[in-house]
Amino acid sequence: MTAKVKVRQIDAYRWEIPQEGRMRTRGVVYASQGLLPKIQEDQSLQQVANVATLPGIVGASLAMPDIHWGYGFPIGGVAAFDMDQGIVSPGGVGYDINCGVRLLRTNLERAQVAPQIEALVNTLFSNIPSGVGSRRKDLKLSQSTLKEVMRYGSAWAVKQGFGDAADLEHIEAQGTIPGADPELVSQFAMERGRDQLGTLGSGNHFVEVGYVFEIFDDKLAAALGLYEDQITVIIHTGSRGLGHQVCDDYIRVMLKAVSKYGIELPDRQLCCAPIASPEGQQYLAAMAAAANYAFANRQLITHWVRESFEQLFQMSPRQLGLDLIYDVAHNIAKIETHEVNGKKTRLCVHRKGATRAFPPEHPETPAAYQKIGQPVLIPGDMGRYSFVLVGTQKALTETFGSTCHGAGRELSRHQALKVAKGRSIVKELAAKGIFVRGAGKGTVDEEISEAYKDVAEVVEVAHGAGISKKVAKLRPLGVMKG
Amino acid sequence: MPRIKEKWYPREQHKSFRPFFHTADLGLHIWGRDPAEIFAHAAQALVATLTDRRRLRRRESRNIIVEAPDQEALLVAWLNHLLYLYDLDGFLGREFHILELSPESLKALARGDIFDPERHIGKTAVKAATFHRLAIAPQADGWQATVILDL
Repeated sequence: MTAKVKVRQIDAYRWEIPQEGRMRTRGVVYASQGLLPKIQEDQSLQQVANVATLPGIVGASLAMPDIHWGYGFPIGGVAAFDMDQGIVSPGGVGYDINCGVRLLRTNLERAQVAPQIEALVNTLFSNIPSGVGSRRKDLKLSQSTLKEVMRYGSAWAVKQGFGDAADLEHIEAQGTIPGADPELVSQFAMERGRDQLGTLGSGNHFVEVGYVFEIFDDKLAAALGLYEDQITVIIHTGSRGLGHQVCDDYIRVMLKAVSKYGIELPDRQLCCAPIASPEGQQYLAAMAAAANYAFANRQLITHWVRESFEQLFQMSPRQLGLDLIYDVAHNIAKIETHEVNGKKTRLCVHRKGATRAFPPEHPETPAAYQKIGQPVLIPGDMGRYSFVLVGTQKALTETFGSTCHGAGRELSRHQALKVAKGRSIVKELAAKGIFVRGAGKGTVDEEISEAYKDVAEVVEVAHGAGISKKVAKLRPLGVMKG
Repeated sequence: MPRIKEKWYPREQHKSFRPFFHTADLGLHIWGRDPAEIFAHAAQALVATLTDRRRLRRRESRNIIVEAPDQEALLVAWLNHLLYLYDLDGFLGREFHILELSPESLKALARGDIFDPERHIGKTAVKAATFHRLAIAPQADGWQATVILDL
């Protein structure tokens, strides 16, 4: 494999990969002294350098502190491209287009829910299909309905009665990425997505019932409606088979585009096309369609989470207060306006395993959070904790308004299974007061805490570097694993 | 496209596939005596990632044609087409017959079962086969391929 990539320390939380060879810019990695050695073990820094070779890249090729080896782009990678000279790459978004996280608050407290957590997780399981090959038998979409879903995303779901209009104010891009064109989504993709809307899927996707364990900033927490011991719900899923197919379809288009436009690549998985080209425009419109499908998916699952709570606790929606705090995408390319060399410039920002973190008073920060900044949701592993943060001005100037997205894996799934062998992970977690139920054999074992970096370390870097600000720490009580 | 006469192979001497470490994903090394066997073994490796293959009965069949610009891309297209068939109605192949194969196209017959959570074990979900570190190459005693799956 390639030689070890050079890094130079910039400050306590930033490391530079100097511009060398075919790189058009430098790489900047957000990490602590403690996190760096692990990052250097695999090919992820080489991947940061590879992204820096792509045409039209603006600013540095960035990596967030949860960086790990991906395919093509690193996971935790952020790269912005000029709208005229730059490219768009399906590999820079990933197969799970608009995989993302949403956080719900409740009026319930830990003491009310903890004794019934097993029943609650089981109710969630019966209401939300999950696991390998999960599909909804009750919701098979016609072609025309599916196209509506892809055009309007969460707004479609709300119109159908899944949630209310207030939800839309608390979703990135209001749950609808503009410019989606379902006509550019293949028949194959639509067939895959037909009966998967409203399903969780498998792998690292989950619904987690937790509680607020610690508040770091009282004012920010109050503005988000969070307080200690309060029950919260996190939903993590994406665009299912439809998104995977859109990515695969357009990677094939891009493989041809690369030779058509004379783009040289260090890795085929980085294949791309100029943003301004027909191929680039078509991908963006198809990606937006898949992203909207994902927003609708999380909206539907939210509806069934609310129903599950209503069923089990026999309380009204008003009593439960299961309001959406925020929903963020962490696999997406967005057309955004950023200041480059003092000039407002439109860019295509790729976030692959990275979360948008816009500051207070930014036009795209929702009205409710104009004073505090856009909420950022960072799930950890199922045995430890998750974090709520807010975006900052520093993120906007340094990272195109981006921050980390999760813990980042430390062990492969294969290694995780070895570590888990002979142990009952479900019992170990139960002893810590966490009830976990997985849909598939092995999914719980693959997702053991030891397989992930400590998300607290990752969040500490994001907070310390000033690219987001800690608000609260949540601990899990019950986890539904896909 | 050259037609492939289905050969009878003696019991395998090599393992037909082996998973390898890749942090968030799963890599597969695949061995075969010829490219056709690489494609068949890669399909088996994919299905073995999703479920316990031994429980799949051979009661459904699918005729499959895929095309791609080159042999490596064809391997990715083939695996992703199998994932498409699985999402479509749950079809998972138990055995794969490669009927015709050229570097740009493949014709195959898959026999298998419809995934039923009551009877089958759901193992690890696969999002897609990727182009990252993708390779197919002849070796001294056959062929070897490497493909990384996004999980």
